[in-house]
Amino acid sequence: MLTAVKNQLRVCALSVKYNMMREMLNKVTFLTNILFMVLNNATFLVQWMILFRLKEDIGGYTMDEIMLLWGLTASSYGLSHILFAKAFSLSDLIINGKLDSYLVMPKNVLLSVITSSTSTSALGDLLYGLIIICFFCFSIQRFFLFLLFTVTGAVIITSFAVLMGSLSFWFIRAEMFGQQMLDSMINFSTYPDGIFKGTVKFMLYLVIPVGMSVYQPIHLMVHFQIGRMLAVLGYTVLLAAAAVFVFYRGLKRYSSSSLMSART
Amino acid sequence: MKKYAVIYRSVLMENLQYTVNIVMSFISYFIFIFVFIHLWNYMYDSPGETIAGYTKTQMIWYVIMTEMIWFAARTATVTRQVTSDIRGGNIAYLINKPYHYTFYILSRYTGEWNIRLPIFAGLAVIAGTIMVGGLPDFRAVTLLASLPCIILGITIQGVFKLCISLMSFWIEDSNPFQWLYDKLILVVGTIFPIEIFPASLQPLFKLTPIYTVCYGPSKLIVDFSPEKWVEIIVAQLIYLAAGCGFMLFIYSKGVKKLYVNGG
Repeated sequence: MLTAVKNQLRVCALSVKYNMMREMLNKVTFLTNILFMVLNNATFLVQWMILFRLKEDIGGYTMDEIMLLWGLTASSYGLSHILFAKAFSLSDLIINGKLDSYLVMPKNVLLSVITSSTSTSALGDLLYGLIIICFFCFSIQRFFLFLLFTVTGAVIITSFAVLMGSLSFWFIRAEMFGQQMLDSMINFSTYPDGIFKGTVKFMLYLVIPVGMSVYQPIHLMVHFQIGRMLAVLGYTVLLAAAAVFVFYRGLKRYSSSSLMSART
Repeated sequence: MKKYAVIYRSVLMENLQYTVNIVMSFISYFIFIFVFIHLWNYMYDSPGETIAGYTKTQMIWYVIMTEMIWFAARTATVTRQVTSDIRGGNIAYLINKPYHYTFYILSRYTGEWNIRLPIFAGLAVIAGTIMVGGLPDFRAVTLLASLPCIILGITIQGVFKLCISLMSFWIEDSNPFQWLYDKLILVVGTIFPIEIFPASLQPLFKLTPIYTVCYGPSKLIVDFSPEKWVEIIVAQLIYLAAGCGFMLFIYSKGVKKLYVNGG
């Protein structure tokens, strides 16, 4: 059992490594993508500087906490797109019957699919997150919590992407709906939860998992509580399990398009 | 011109088949506006308060209008298609056709936003009216006067994005430059009106595409004045002429760098 898990993880690591090597073939493009993504994220500093000129706190957040929010969102999003970029185009594989080449592989299908590509610009997102935690509200404890929540956030985002992508096994046009939900997750996660009230806040914890991927971790980095941290970890495991379950249930409905394709 | 009209018409007809997809993409727009309504509700302490001369309703309608322009102009034709044509070599076939490649792309772009804009405008007005109420002192004539500014704004946006995509003649991937341009427009001109920035920066922003693409048309809708209309339309015409000149210059230089690998 342990050997099988170890082998699977080794295959995933190799897959990510080769994806990255392929992206690095053109070094100028590779570096430009990373650098410009850091700058791209940094432009939003202007937005918050303007808003904080108007009010001292926004939704109960100070400027440093907003930066922490942006940093964690960027690094979670970045890590999920570095390791599991294909999870975000799962619908396309399902609709066009391109899963065949993964089904014949002797390893876990879902992991093989989602680790089969990477996004170069996501390295810029991850780097931006790390720069933010080092320059705004740095402490050793907060840094390690940031790393932990980057991982849980990445797992939550990827699981949500797999859940949304898997809808294509059952529904027509689900890919558009799924994409909108993923976009909305990013949109909500860059604004403080204090500006939302009532039903919206409830939805951000139960329908779109922004609450557990970003908001709770930010609150924990400001005021640590072990119970809340366990809740975040438990939620991450449950959502990942739900994503795996739904994907394999859906896979039973998958039909090939007889398209000749190879795993890239 | 007739050939470009044919291209425009064919793209228009093609896009009419995908109106459901466009309506679906309204969800993203709606969520963006929804977040901003909550943000400005938080920022304004009382209903009568003004920030940078805008009431809460005006500020939210400003964002509704700028985002409408932004989403209507958001098509892959002037970005991904041009980059992929140049990188993939497809441009070798397209430059032999009896049209100018850049105008071919702009005709396609116009066909796309001509479908997207009315859909987004209709849904945006319905959503805005339900969520924040109507815009005070708004008259139908304001809309008629602002319409040419909206059309010119979207066209300028297409020309500038096409210029950035044409950089693919020199660099493999022009996408990172698109991100920065998008964020410049989004952060400085779309999310806030220019008046919210420090007074020393405002003249500088008026020289950038932000003023002609997003700020100008939206400002006219929320706070119309004939003097402002003349100022904005003149700026847009200058910008469009300069943008087209720049686009043709980049294309003429870039196309000389093109080499065919065969295949």
